[in-house]
Parts: sequence; structure tokens; C-alpha cells
Amino acid sequence: MSDLQARLTGVRGTLRFLGALVSTNLKASLALRGAFWARVFFMFVNNFIFLVMWWVFFERVDDVRGWKLADTAAVYGVAAGSFGLAVIFGNGVQYLARQIYEGDLDSVLSQPKSVLLSAITSHSEPAGWGDLFSAAVLFAVCGYVTPGLIPLCLVLCASGAILFLSTGVLISSTAFWLGNMQSISRQGFHFLVIFSVYPSTIFRGWLKVFLYSAIPAGFVTFLPVSLLREFSWLKFAAILGAAVVYAGIAVLVFTLGLRRYESGSRFGVRA
Amino acid sequence: MRDAAKYIAVLRLSARETFRARGEVFARSVFMVILLVVFSRLWAAVGEGAGLAGIGPAQFLWYLALTEWVTLGIPLFYLSIEEDVRRGDVAYRLARPVSYVWSKLAEGLGQVLVRLVVLGIVALAVGRYLAGSWPDPRALLCALPLGVLACVVLLLIQVLIGLSVFWLHDGAPAFWMIQKFQFVFGGLFWPLDIYPGWMQSIAAWTPFSAAVYGVGRNALRYEPEVALRTAMILVLWIGILGALVAWAYRRSLRVVEVGGG
Amino acid sequence: MGGSIEVDGLRKVFQVREQGSGIKDALRYLFRPPTRDVVAVDGISFSIARGERVAFVGPNGAGKSTTIKMLTGILHPTAGEAHVLGLTPWKDRRALAYKLGTVFGQRTQLWYHLPARDTFRLLARIYDQDDAVHERRLGELVEAFALAPLLKKPVRQLSLGERMRCEIVASLLHKPEVLFLDEPTIGLDVTAKATIRDLIRDASVQDGSTVLLTSHDTGDMEHVCDRVIVINHGKLLLDQPVRELRRTYIRQKIVTLLTAEPRIELDLPGVTVRDRAPHRTVFEVDVSATPVERVVKAALELGRLRDLTVEDPPMEEIVKAIYARANP
Repeated sequence: MSDLQARLTGVRGTLRFLGALVSTNLKASLALRGAFWARVFFMFVNNFIFLVMWWVFFERVDDVRGWKLADTAAVYGVAAGSFGLAVIFGNGVQYLARQIYEGDLDSVLSQPKSVLLSAITSHSEPAGWGDLFSAAVLFAVCGYVTPGLIPLCLVLCASGAILFLSTGVLISSTAFWLGNMQSISRQGFHFLVIFSVYPSTIFRGWLKVFLYSAIPAGFVTFLPVSLLREFSWLKFAAILGAAVVYAGIAVLVFTLGLRRYESGSRFGVRA
Repeated sequence: MRDAAKYIAVLRLSARETFRARGEVFARSVFMVILLVVFSRLWAAVGEGAGLAGIGPAQFLWYLALTEWVTLGIPLFYLSIEEDVRRGDVAYRLARPVSYVWSKLAEGLGQVLVRLVVLGIVALAVGRYLAGSWPDPRALLCALPLGVLACVVLLLIQVLIGLSVFWLHDGAPAFWMIQKFQFVFGGLFWPLDIYPGWMQSIAAWTPFSAAVYGVGRNALRYEPEVALRTAMILVLWIGILGALVAWAYRRSLRVVEVGGG
Repeated sequence: MGGSIEVDGLRKVFQVREQGSGIKDALRYLFRPPTRDVVAVDGISFSIARGERVAFVGPNGAGKSTTIKMLTGILHPTAGEAHVLGLTPWKDRRALAYKLGTVFGQRTQLWYHLPARDTFRLLARIYDQDDAVHERRLGELVEAFALAPLLKKPVRQLSLGERMRCEIVASLLHKPEVLFLDEPTIGLDVTAKATIRDLIRDASVQDGSTVLLTSHDTGDMEHVCDRVIVINHGKLLLDQPVRELRRTYIRQKIVTLLTAEPRIELDLPGVTVRDRAPHRTVFEVDVSATPVERVVKAALELGRLRDLTVEDPPMEEIVKAIYARANP
């Protein structure tokens, strides 16, 4: 009984802690107002330009095995929404490999909250808001999203964000074993984006298997977009299940790695 | 003449350093492989249908290999200048008997050359595997010097963005913007030939049509006279951008003197 | 019996990866990188009672920070035992964290672009502090540390000393029972150092908290702590009250005089010339034989004084002296 109570208080404490972290992050990124809005604006333009490239393409090609410009717009919508959420709430993941390599996790380790959560929520990228804004526009123009589907879009972007972050944590955690992975893990985080925004109909055979396993691009965008076209509980469950499984693997690998950090990184020698 | 020797020394040192810190070049190679794989699938799918502008899947793939070769060959160089400016290193380097910008440019070129070699090998190997055939070797030979000239142009643009930090505080937005123009008006993913006419005309006025499309188009057809014209346009852009860099650098020195860097 | 920190045979060995230079080495070392063992902490034992203030001193690389990192649960020891407030740090890291405060002098926990107030509010959530409790505690600390005018300024606009004051308040907010401070005065000027030292001492007296601070500044130990533990090369060299250490090892002061005269001589017991240049003389003064004020007075009578500084001997010398005594 008291154990359960203690547990509930613990959960409540964690939730309040996360709320406080998010609001502090927001304030921090708004502290430099000019830079904030510049980044938001340019990220929006950035996404828009990609759409223009595909517009040029689909002006000349009617469809790619049934895939049309509307599908590309929807895929970009889910990808931008997911990526936006991921970097607004968890941009620390882009610094994780360096923190591990340089032994910079000390301060989060001396606090009584989850090391992984504290580390990935420690940064927020303002450009993520530009991504979210792009996502809203892309959803509106793609033609698949009726007002009733808006809650579904939010859920899909949230699960996509979890998949993005899990992939980032997995790649960064290799730094526990391999040392300096900074540039590779940063790029790796973006590999997932590349795979997520092309017509899913072009991938067949082993590549398709690859995109639903090693790199979860299929679960980030392909499956969600087919879900927007036609809802199915099975696909919905598959997407959420994938988010849970990838997050679980990421947490597990990070936790295993953390033991190595504790049992000896190079930073102790530097002191 | 003695100055040239100094800059060449900087270039060689930077090339050696890039070779030492292999992580970045490795990551970019992986990036290139992934892009080529994805696009080979895309062109295969397009090829099943009506095709596109009479260009075959293999040609499209070699086109992308060349444009990516140039695009990925350029490091995030504005960041390194931005850091120098932030830390006040520019002021400190003024004390040396070489110009900061030009030695910085030599440093960038050193990085570029190593990347071009590594990425070139990757592009050739993966391109041959995915496309199943070689492009016209004479056309590839044309692309080689064009690629180097194009990198100088793109590097000068990055130097300009880096120097802009003296006035704007954050170089990233400007960089993203220009990078996206480079993608669109350079025809990074598909040749400008398939663009609507009005977009082609806009592209022609930017340095990117020569620097990106100009290199890639060698994969589509072997036209030495077009290649020569592209080379001349690139040299012209090097002149224009070089003058702009020199001007911006002189202005920025004034900022250093007034603000103390 | 009210023990706050118990350490028994604590040892930490790091495996440092050897770096090859060429491509050949890189390939050869890809799968089995050669490693070299570095002993950072070599079996030290001590115990600290509740409310004690202990300085953990030694030269750079002595193993001070590594020990603190083990006591906060950041690092696993290679061997040995440690208990902090009855818990084993590396096993009960999170439970213990609620009761510990840490300041790592060279790493900040403050958000750079935000006022410190925002970091404090976040810390209240990290340590599950009720709003009412938090406000009360912050109020006390703001008053004690004179932070009121700094609370609303973004941290990036604060001076180093001001930032350190906020840093310490951040670590005291949850009223920790044990406070670990790693080089809390590093990089500060003399006035800021003095302020920080007073504040740490007062806070500890007020809360009855245990303090363990590392430093290679003798002043930190003299002004904050009652007891000193000296380590070198990962081994415990000395453990005694600061009073005693002062009596046996810090009997000397370094007095530097800048004079109009090119050369001056002082003929006093226990005063020797340590270094000499035209117009500048550095004396080593044994204060048990001649107090500093007598030296100054004598110097004033001898010539025209341009400048004068009185310093403690550097930590390295004290350690060397202790070492010489321990291994005659």
C-alpha cells in the first residue's frame, strides 16, 4: 500500500519535473527572441523549398507507382511534425554522444531524476517550431486530413518523435563503447529523416525490411500516411507498438552503456 | 609568390588534418551511399512508367552522384569562421603575416580536396554498382576540374556567411536559406532540364546552376564546349565572390578595430 | 555513530586507451585497442562525522575529484567500500541524490540565457520540493547570499563570483545533508573568494550539514574547514585538524616587498630570502618566530616601500613538506 503510494508520488514528481523542464527550455529558447524567430522562419522556408522540388518532379511525372504529390506532402507533414516535436523537447539527443564521450553527464548523474530524460530534454531547438508550423500547413494542403483526423495527426507526430529520439539515443549510446561518435551520430539522426520523406512505393524487398527494422522510417511516416488515407486499428497498433519497442531498446542500451560510463571513462583522468 | 607558398602550406596542413579526423568524411560517405541507394530505387520506379524527359535511370543516378559529390564535398565551413569570430580569434590572427580570410580559404580548400577524393571514389564505386554502367569517361574527365572550381565558388559563399556573423549574430538561418537555394536552383536532385522554363531562367542568374547542375550535366551528355562555358562562368563567379569576400573582410576588420573583436 | 561519510579502502583504476598515430595503428587498434591502467585513487580510508567541514586537498591529479565522483555515485569504484548517510552511493545513487548537494566548480548547472530564478524553479521540481517550502527556503538563501538584485538577470550577464554564488544556492536549495564542493573558488578574485568561503561556512553551520570540499587553494581549507585530508598520487598522506596542519606546515608566509632601494636586508629570526631581483625581495617568514607585522614594520623602517603582498605558500609546497616528513 505505502509502496504503491510512494510509486504514485514518484510518477507525479517525474511528471511535474518534465513539465518544469519543458517550460524552462521554452523560456531559454525565447530568451534570444530575434534568433528564435529567424530560426523558426527559415526552417519553414526550408521545408517549403523541399516541397517545391517535389512539385517540379510531379509536374513531369504523374505518379510513382501510385504515389502522388499529395502523398509526398503528407509524408513531409508527418516527418516535419515528428522531427519538430523531437527537437523541441529532446534536442539534447544531438549532444548526447559528445556528453558521453567527454564525461559530461556528471551534473545529471548527481540529480535524483532519470539521467536519460534529463540529458535529452536539456536542449531545445527553436527551429522545431518552424517544423511544427510546416507540418500544420502540409497537413492542410495534402487533402487527406479532415478536421476529425487532427487528433490522430498529433498522436502520429508524437509516436514519430519518440521513434526519432530512440534512434538518436541508440546511435549516440554507441559512444559508450566506441568513444568519439559525435559527427557520425549527428548525421545518423538525419539519416532517418532522409529515408522517411521519399515515396514509400519505391522501396521493395530487403530495403523495405530494412526500413521497418534497423531504421524505423516505415513507422515514422509510411505507415502513418497510409493510416491517414484509410484508418485501420491494426496499423495504428503497429505504429504505437513500434514506438514502445524502439524506446524500450533505446533505454535498455543506454542503461547498459551508462554502466560503462560509471565504471570508467576517460574524463576522470583529465581532472 | 612567397605569400602563395604560405597559403599552400596551410592547405596541405588542413588536408592532412581532415585525413586524420576521418569520422566526418566517413559519415558523409555513408550519407552519399544512402542517397544513391534511395534515388536508384526512385529512378527505377519512374523508369517503369513513361520515364522522364528521355533520360534513363542510369543517367539520372550518375547525375546525382556528381551533384552530391560537389555538395557533400563542402564542409560546414561557415561554422568554423563563426567560431573564430565569436572567440575573438580573428583579432588575434591579425597579428600574423598572412591574411585571415585567405588562409581560412586555403584551410577550407584543403578539407575540400580530401573530401572530393574520398567521396569521388565512393561515388564511382557505388554509382557503378547501382547504375550498372559507366558514364562517358570523357564527360567524367570534364566534370573533374569543374567540380574543383564549383567547390571554390561554394566555399567562398560559406566564407561570406561566416563573415556575416560580424553583423548578424547567428549564421545558421542564412546558411540554411542559401543551402536550400543551392538545392533548388542548382538542380541537386534532378537536372534543371525538367524544371519549368521560368525556374530555369531564375537558376541561370545564380551561381548554383553552374556550380551544381553544371557539374552534374556531364553525366547526361558529353559536350566539351558547354563544359568550357561552365568553367568560364565558374571563374567569373569566383571573381565576383572573391571581390565580395575581400570587401566584407575589410569591413569586418573595421568592426574588429571598433568593437575589439 | 552519527557517521556521515565512511570510506574504506576505496580504489579506482582507469583504463586509458592508447592512441595510435597512423592509419596502420588505427586499423590494428580498431577491435582491440591497447589500454594502460592509471590508478587515480589508491585505497584510501577515512570517516567524517555529521556537521564536520573537511577539506580534501592535494595537487592536480591527486585523485580528489575522482573520490568525490565516487562518493556522489557518478563513478563506480574498482574496489573498496563507501557509505554516505548510510547508503552506498553507486548503488543508491538516486535515493542519495535527494540528500546531497554538489558544486562542480568548472561545470555549471545554471541555464545560461535565463535568470537564475528559472533554474531554481526547475531544481525544485528535480528535487520534488513543494512550492511553499521552495519559496521559504529560497527566500532565506537569497537573503543570506544577497542574491536579490541578481535573481532576474540572465546568467550570462553575471560576473564569475556572482555566478558561483548562484551555483552554490542552487546546490543548497533542497537543504542537503552533505555538500560536495569541487574547486568552488577556482578562477575567482580575492574578494569573491572570501565571500564564497564565508557563505559556505555559514550555510553549513546554519543547516548542520557536512561539507567536503576539494581545492588546491590553501585559503579555502583554512577559512572554511576544521579538518584537512591531504592526498597525493591517490594515497592518503595526512588527516588532521586544520589547526594542527597550520602549526606544523603552514608556519610560513611569503612576503614580497617592492622597494625604492635596489636591495634591502632583514635580519630577523626565521626570515630568509627566497628570491631576489633589483627592487624586489621575496622573504619566507616563519610566523612562529617572527609575526608578519614585525617583518612589515622592519621593512618600513629600512626603506621606502612601493608594494607589499603576503601570501600562503602554495599547496604543492605544503604537500612536498608533508611528503618529506612522512618519508625522511
